[in-house]
Amino acid sequence: MSRNSTQWTQKPKLPSTHYSDPVIYSDPEIFEEEKEKIFKKTWLLASHESELPNPYDFRTYDHPGGTKLVIVRGEDMKIRTFINMCPHRGNLLVYEPSGNSKNLVCIFHQWAFNGKGECVDIPREKEGYQDRLCKNDVALREVRTETAFGGFVWVNLDDNCGPLKDYVAGALDYMLPELESEPLETFWYYQATLNTNWKLIHDTNSEFYHDYLHYHNRITGMLDPKSGYWTRRLKAFPNGHAQVGTMQAKYDAYEGGGHSKLGWPHLPDGWKLVDLYPCITLNLRNSVLRIDTYIPISATKMYYEFRALGLKSDTPEIRRQRQKDAAVIWSPWGRNLHEDLIASEGQTIAMAKGSESMYFIAAREEDAGCQDEVALRHYLGEWDKRMGRSHTNPLAKPAARTVAA
Amino acid sequence: MSTKLNGNRVDVEELIYQSCMLMDEKDFNGFLGLCDDGFEYVLTAYSWEVKKDMIFLDHSKKELKELFDLLPKHNTDRNPLTRNAVVYKVDYDDAKKQANVISTLQVYRTTQDGGRTGLFAVGKYHDTVSLKSGKPTLVKRHVKLDTRDLGCGHHIPF
Ligand code: FES
Ligand SMILES: [Fe+2]
Repeated sequence: MSRNSTQWTQKPKLPSTHYSDPVIYSDPEIFEEEKEKIFKKTWLLASHESELPNPYDFRTYDHPGGTKLVIVRGEDMKIRTFINMCPHRGNLLVYEPSGNSKNLVCIFHQWAFNGKGECVDIPREKEGYQDRLCKNDVALREVRTETAFGGFVWVNLDDNCGPLKDYVAGALDYMLPELESEPLETFWYYQATLNTNWKLIHDTNSEFYHDYLHYHNRITGMLDPKSGYWTRRLKAFPNGHAQVGTMQAKYDAYEGGGHSKLGWPHLPDGWKLVDLYPCITLNLRNSVLRIDTYIPISATKMYYEFRALGLKSDTPEIRRQRQKDAAVIWSPWGRNLHEDLIASEGQTIAMAKGSESMYFIAAREEDAGCQDEVALRHYLGEWDKRMGRSHTNPLAKPAARTVAA
Repeated sequence: MSTKLNGNRVDVEELIYQSCMLMDEKDFNGFLGLCDDGFEYVLTAYSWEVKKDMIFLDHSKKELKELFDLLPKHNTDRNPLTRNAVVYKVDYDDAKKQANVISTLQVYRTTQDGGRTGLFAVGKYHDTVSLKSGKPTLVKRHVKLDTRDLGCGHHIPF
């Protein structure tokens, strides 16, 4: 029998860890708080060292906390990150997404900064500021940066944060042989504007129950008894991270072109996936390492950043094959990616604020098998801790604020 | 420039426009019928962030047919696309009996629910057309997109 309004909107008869209030996917106030309590406090993957290979190369990053950053490789080859803001009257220092410049020179009044963030020139400094203000007073704001785990550039806006390694808490150990076998290179970087909540994307990346959405994954994995699909296990790590065990996909079963036998050093024909809190997925499948990161811009809109990486040593032929492998499932025409994205937008359309949405169920328990929803629950648990709210009753006064009051 | 081959400009333009119409109508067999047996389809976009051309589709005629044949098995955006091409330049290669054609391309997407049309992508077709027989055929199509943010993307090539 169908349900009436009361039945439809009542809490499920499940433990509170196993469902969430849909308002966490649509409420603007909750989103603003997420920026402060989650994005500004966690290590985020901002770039890869191959995107700025030479001294004086720079690369921008729109930090989800709302701050524009610029990542710079200094003449000492060290990668540092600064707020992309001129300390004079607040103009953007760098407008292009990448480039090379010995100094970052603000177009407005030509203040110039070196790769260490030091101000090296103020036009007519003495005439205007006499001895009241000098170059030493106006260096850039440097942001905590580490280059690690396969040459990725990680940033944290919190000056008092712990080291990246402690934050990752072993979640990437399982992928380290592949990440660190030899230098990597980004060959795709593109964005997709999506009308969805950022957590819904991470949910999709955290379970394989949605392979019912993907014809490609059913035919190459789920329906192939030899693939190891059903023996893959999800494993939770501290700080909200999770990983999925490997399997051997049977790409021949899909006839859409591509998916060679190229493989990856240490992982000739496999698949490893790690989800890092709050918005990073490292997905090594066959010959391509795909990295997903997101830049949420409201409760229901985000820029999805996609990277695909190969080996720096790739010949042009091998690189073309890697791109072809990636394109089958992951380009804007990818068989799987398009399906994932239309489903995430569909969730946000249906569960919009004021839509009389039911509670969102994350209750599958299958001994941590890949169609278990344990990683979603683990993710929601971390959200509760960081937000001081409960995902089942999020509009109650946040715990942290109650204490402060 | 050969005067003899130059006479084919209208036929060449019609081939490009017909390819758009057939794809808009999802008449994939009709589209493949315009293509040479050795047809290659490549779609790229230049990433300003990493300063590289990204190959998003790379298919032989056979692979393209497989892609079309599998479309009904996939979940997909069913909102129709409208391709608008304008042939800008036709260069003839007399020795190869081919024309190299550059057309600008705009792709629009119209929602089935509500009928709202939005610009989906802009770019160019770089086509190689064989003029060996009476009827021009597509030997290669390289779609060079300016647009890289394609939202949810699409399953059907441009
Ligand atoms: S705002 Fe940058 S120099 Fe004035
Ligand atoms: Fe998926």
